[in-house]
Amino acid sequence: MSEKLTSKQLSKKITDEYMDEAFHAHELGKLIGYSTAISPVEIFVAHDVIPIYPENHAVANLTAKKGAELCSITENMGYTSHLCAYARSDLAYRKSGITVTKGIPEPDFFLACNAQCFTLTKWFQVLARKGNLPVFVFDTPEYIMDKKAREEIVKYCVLQLKELISFLEEITKKKFDYDRLKEVMKYSAQSSILYKKFLDMAQYKPSPISIFDELIGMAIAVYRRGTQECVDYYQTLCDEIQAKVDQGIGVLPKEKEKYRLYWENLPVWFKFSDHAKLLGSYGGVILTSLYVHAWSFEFDLDKDPLVTLAENYVSRFSNSTIEDRVDMAMDLFKRYSMNSMIMFMNRSCKAVSFAVPTLKDILTKKTGIPALVFESDMGDQRFYAESQVRTRIEAYFETLDALQAKTA
Amino acid sequence: MWDNLSLKEVVDYAKDPYPSIRQWIKDTGKRAVGSTFADVPEEVIYAFGFLPVTLMGTNKPLKKAPSHLPDNACSLARSNLELVLSYEGDLFDGYVLPQVCDTTQHLSDIWRINFPDKYVESYLAPRQADRPSARYWVKEEIERVMASLTKWSGKKITDADLNEAIKVHNENKALLKEIYEIKKKNPAALTNKEFFAMMKLSQQVDKVEFNKSLNKIKGSLKAENGKGYTDVVLVGITCDPPEIYDLFDEIKLNIVGDTLLVGTRYIQGVVSVNANPVDALTERHFKRGFFTPIHDNVYKNFEEVKALYKETNAKAIIYVHIEFCESQEYDLPDLKAMIRAEGIPMHTLDTEYQTLSLSHVRTRLQAFFESLKGGTL
Repeated sequence: MSEKLTSKQLSKKITDEYMDEAFHAHELGKLIGYSTAISPVEIFVAHDVIPIYPENHAVANLTAKKGAELCSITENMGYTSHLCAYARSDLAYRKSGITVTKGIPEPDFFLACNAQCFTLTKWFQVLARKGNLPVFVFDTPEYIMDKKAREEIVKYCVLQLKELISFLEEITKKKFDYDRLKEVMKYSAQSSILYKKFLDMAQYKPSPISIFDELIGMAIAVYRRGTQECVDYYQTLCDEIQAKVDQGIGVLPKEKEKYRLYWENLPVWFKFSDHAKLLGSYGGVILTSLYVHAWSFEFDLDKDPLVTLAENYVSRFSNSTIEDRVDMAMDLFKRYSMNSMIMFMNRSCKAVSFAVPTLKDILTKKTGIPALVFESDMGDQRFYAESQVRTRIEAYFETLDALQAKTA
Repeated sequence: MWDNLSLKEVVDYAKDPYPSIRQWIKDTGKRAVGSTFADVPEEVIYAFGFLPVTLMGTNKPLKKAPSHLPDNACSLARSNLELVLSYEGDLFDGYVLPQVCDTTQHLSDIWRINFPDKYVESYLAPRQADRPSARYWVKEEIERVMASLTKWSGKKITDADLNEAIKVHNENKALLKEIYEIKKKNPAALTNKEFFAMMKLSQQVDKVEFNKSLNKIKGSLKAENGKGYTDVVLVGITCDPPEIYDLFDEIKLNIVGDTLLVGTRYIQGVVSVNANPVDALTERHFKRGFFTPIHDNVYKNFEEVKALYKETNAKAIIYVHIEFCESQEYDLPDLKAMIRAEGIPMHTLDTEYQTLSLSHVRTRLQAFFESLKGGTL
């Protein structure tokens, strides 16, 4: 009997098999659909379309500090330096072939869901023009705070999901199987519950995980949801973290865990391990962000699958009003007992960042906790000022120390 | 107020329409509802008895907006936010704000949070236009905004109110179209700046009054085709500051076609009068030309620009890029390449609201057209 794989081994196995299948998709009679990370990909999985996420590939390159090199190539192609670093690094990869991975297979078509951002739609349009390929835009109007409007938005999204299914049937010449979708939804629902359970383990004191574990741990939820292996992975991961909790093992030892931080935005990918070390030296652990919770879906299997898909995808944090984002963050502040926050103004991600100044104002008022705000880029090192960020982090912790001393 | 304006007055009012709007509100006791670009059905707002005003930024300094929207946000969005936060906010009783991209989505939220005592409604434009669901959604949104305005104003409107509003707006567009035709053939009859000032002011003041001015101006235009003009097509969303038109006029460019929201795309918004008014307003959404955030057909922009260039026999295309408009910035490199592959001369103007100096724009523009005339392109 083979030994049970660890979550790390399982993640590698799932990823390798997934990419292997993707690179041989056409030989296997399957098509490749490029998708945004927040998209109703369950429909692809149910229809045997292999979803590929250019964002994930971009993250691999940006984490490996390839951002500046790749982005410069794209700028020489006539694109400006203030576009999303994922898009800029991807367009450069298409031109130069530069990547730290084996690359990603070419697309047959695109699914762009703007619940995440509108940038992805425009980026996919650029790629579509290169190959004259079809793009399906799954348009998700902002989930505004009006009950009736929300019902209408969901109806509109359900209509579009039906159009997406027709689009896929036409391209693949294959009838869509709704029973298969129900099965896929079951896996997606199960893995989402487990994924959320994993994230919520940051509530423990000391926290057994930091956002850096979560950013690694979220990968399978992003690209393999809707499969049994995704469920297995999160079950394994939860078991491992629970074992840490049972033994009282934290990211920092309990006596050293002084600051439990909220992070707003995507990470600075090429700096995230440095940030973990730096914050740790001040007794700080970043516990969570709305970003990692973007894949904490709550599918209702008693509903029509298209309705629960629409309800979930349209209500992601990135498609919610700033007021709703405040409520979502406040819920995390309370549940995770956080006492500090870093608000990252990410030049690359306008969709998330343009809400940050308002979000910061409201959250600091509501919590009474000061915020550290810094501006940089998630992937392009040219916009990262090392000494400035370090100084701000140091100053922030000094402020927090002084506040704590005063309270004491 | 706006019913007997000379061409010069049109230009002056277009540059800063707000003092006259303030006076008009005082005189008539009516209320103003502001919107930003694009596609809010202004006929609906008008039918409720409000003055629909499209906000088009301010040239006054930015003081408050930067603390809400960073410097890499679309300069038009920042400028509009500044306009209401620092300068003209008191003029408006409410706002209907369209969401067409990430920036406008956040802008609506920021606006609502900063004006808790005012009516702020969103108009959620679809960001796809080629599938039946888009048509369903536009109608749904028009009806939702109507219901919202009813709730706020306490007034219910009838089909007759809406049809009357459509009539007034259609008349405005028809007049602009006629004047545009005169201008295209008679570039010396009125300048680019004068014509586009009419376009702008049409979206900001009472149309019943302004249509009278347009009628008089139309009648006063003389056939003057002038000499030495170069016909060009203007492509983009807006063209600001208005002094850019002075540069065009200086080097005798004649705009004979455009795709601007403050230009042809506005005129294209004529609504059918022989149908249910909400259905007709819905249909109008799909008749208008390319607008980068809402059209998912990746070649539509190029096809429209190419057709316009050929149809007008223009000599070049001028593309107006608004700094930090992401939507334009993803389109532009491919659009340039496709246009150049057709052998069409194209010049890109990088503009920013609050721009004070246009000397770099002038130099580049002059150089481009000198080369064009010299046949070196």
